[in-house]
Amino acid sequence: MTFQTHDARILEVKELTSREKLFTLRFVDPEVNRSFKYKPGQFVIVDIRGFGEFPISLCSTPTREGYFQLCVRRVGRMTKYMHTLKEGDIVGIRGPYGNGFPMEKMEGSTLVLVAGGLGMAPLRSVLWYALDTGKYEKIYLFYGTKAYEDILFRDEVIHLLKHGEDMNCHVKLAYEVETPSCIYLEKGYSPRVCKGVVTDLFRGETFDVENTYALICGPPVMYKYVIKELLDRKLSPGRIYMTLERRMRCGVGKCGHCIVGTSTSIKYVCKDGPVFTYWDALSTRGLI
Amino acid sequence: MRYVKLPQENFEEFFNSLKKWGKVYAPVKKGNIYSFQHVEKPSEIAFDYTRTMLPPKKFFVRPKDEMLRLKGGKWEESDGVEPIVLFGVHSCDIHGLEILDKVYLDEPVDPYYKKRRENSIIIGMSCMPDEYCFCKSLGTDFAMHGFDLFLHELPDGWLVRVGSVKGHEIAWENEELFEELTEEDMRNFREFEEKRANSFKKHLNKEGLEDMLDLAFNSPVWKKYEKICLGCGNCNMVCPTCRCYEVCDLWMNAYEAVRVRRYDSCFMESHGLVAGGHNFRPTRLDRFRHRYYCKSYFDPSAGFNCVGCGRCDEFCPAKIEHVKVLDEVREGLQ
Ligand SMILES: Cc1cc2nc3c(=O)[nH]c(=O)nc-3n(C[C@H](O)[C@H](O)[C@H](O)COP(=O)(O)OP(=O)(O)OC[C@H]3O[C@@H](n4cnc5c(N)ncnc54)[C@H](O)[C@@H]3O)c2cc1C
Ligand code: SF4
Ligand code: SF4
Ligand code: FES
Repeated sequence: MTFQTHDARILEVKELTSREKLFTLRFVDPEVNRSFKYKPGQFVIVDIRGFGEFPISLCSTPTREGYFQLCVRRVGRMTKYMHTLKEGDIVGIRGPYGNGFPMEKMEGSTLVLVAGGLGMAPLRSVLWYALDTGKYEKIYLFYGTKAYEDILFRDEVIHLLKHGEDMNCHVKLAYEVETPSCIYLEKGYSPRVCKGVVTDLFRGETFDVENTYALICGPPVMYKYVIKELLDRKLSPGRIYMTLERRMRCGVGKCGHCIVGTSTSIKYVCKDGPVFTYWDALSTRGLI
Repeated sequence: MRYVKLPQENFEEFFNSLKKWGKVYAPVKKGNIYSFQHVEKPSEIAFDYTRTMLPPKKFFVRPKDEMLRLKGGKWEESDGVEPIVLFGVHSCDIHGLEILDKVYLDEPVDPYYKKRRENSIIIGMSCMPDEYCFCKSLGTDFAMHGFDLFLHELPDGWLVRVGSVKGHEIAWENEELFEELTEEDMRNFREFEEKRANSFKKHLNKEGLEDMLDLAFNSPVWKKYEKICLGCGNCNMVCPTCRCYEVCDLWMNAYEAVRVRRYDSCFMESHGLVAGGHNFRPTRLDRFRHRYYCKSYFDPSAGFNCVGCGRCDEFCPAKIEHVKVLDEVREGLQ
């Protein structure tokens, strides 16, 4: 049934930061587990029975089967409850929903991933997918974070700062709050690690615009500025993908909450998105 | 389409025969307000009603609706549906239901809506417009489908259009109550329709409406109405095509919870609110304008999201008139 969720067991809970936890899950029913296929950029609805439902991006990659991961920031009632859950606990899951990034279409191209804060979660799925399949020319990750303590998947990011070049993966990190750990990172990896905002990471970078796609996810204010950097570098709007957030209840185009646009173009972020191109943003007012 | 005549003297028997298909709901007058209520006999029905406050959507997308029930840690589907007969649905509301069908029956199908739709019989009834109606401008003043039977008023009974297999079955089982149409019936039917077409007082200029509105995003008219509108959301509740809903879980006792959905309104501040307090439509201006964009969106397969029923005008406490707002926005552009 459309709104019934499937039991999923929490295999592992990992504290990523003081606000974010990474949950690794598997469906209890092996058949559901086998048939659960998803694309980077898609999301699921988590059902905490008796509390409610909320949408969360899949941050693992479909190339690694048998489990999936959700990175949940504690912001309110339900996510707070989610944070109290332990290994072995059960939650309900329905999905995957949304269109996801067109990974196949982008094969052979360079990917520029631009993440701000929690935007790292869905882009991690893309990053791993690209690394696992090896089907992409080059991968850039521009990641803007508030402070060292807020870097999501810190081990992975630092590992890629160190060894990413061998895999054609170039990581750049911008932080806003100066702490000893950041200064230490900056010493080691300057100019790839610097104080500033994510758009500062574009300085000095040019892309082969014929063969590059940009994928953006971050807080609402970020999009305009990042898109400007990309357009300044002559990237076509059709090569700029972004994943967006809205209040979501149903996830499947019924509840009306995620409707954006005007009389000429109405879109549901949950089913027409959450991944859109900049062309969509130009023709759908209120998208970004 | 099959056309037959139901003479007035057979109406009661016909009405009683409907009960076997389900509980019959029809427009009833209470004070100054009409609403669809359970009726037992024709004398309870307000045949000359204009519009009910809540449209027939209330039977399919209920104001408050239990979806799932939590028992022993597992969700169970909430109880089944009862078959209903909706008697006396006006053409605009039939169009309204078809717009809801587009949304709720589109994949993935909404199981609650589908079950209720399948268990309902829609019997249309002709009407005369009042000062609020503008369905003619939107082409929703006549229904060609979306009903099982449609009853058109004649001086001595009803001209009945049979619109579905179920409608045929009902007509079949009551064969002895129906007659063939005469030339005179046809003439009366045409006369009624003509008189009706000439009785509309309100007209919406829908020429290029979507584009016109899109261009008028910064129109001062929105700002003017932002100050008049109370933000109460009445217009959403009564609209036959508005169907935003909110979901929450409620505990009935220590062991049982239910997941309920209820009408939500894009005029509520929480409609576009996400975690961390960010609001995608923070001001009344954003929300007022959004409603007009949503209602005037043209879907090539379903038409506009407004059927011109006039409810939002009649039940707006600030007396805001839908067509007038759109006209003013248009004038502002010229
Ligand atoms: C497509 C998508 C992907 C997301 N991915 C992630 C992710 O990977 N990690 C993550 O931490 N968060 C993600 N979010 C945000 C997450 O859904 C919200 O943080 C969560 O719903 C907040 O619930 P709450 O009850 O804890 O918060 P509260 O602040 O208590 O929420 C108040 C109310 O608003 C509702 N609400 C708030 N934000 C949202 C929202 N965005 N959608 C629906 N309802 C909302 C809540 O359900 C609640 O009823 C995503 C949101 C969307 C739309
Ligand atoms: S917008 Fe107003 S007139 Fe149009 S369908 Fe809704 S309630 Fe009726
Ligand atoms: S019913 Fe009238 S006052 Fe209330 S929200 Fe709608 S337009 Fe505003
Ligand atoms: S989340 Fe319900 S319509 Fe998109």
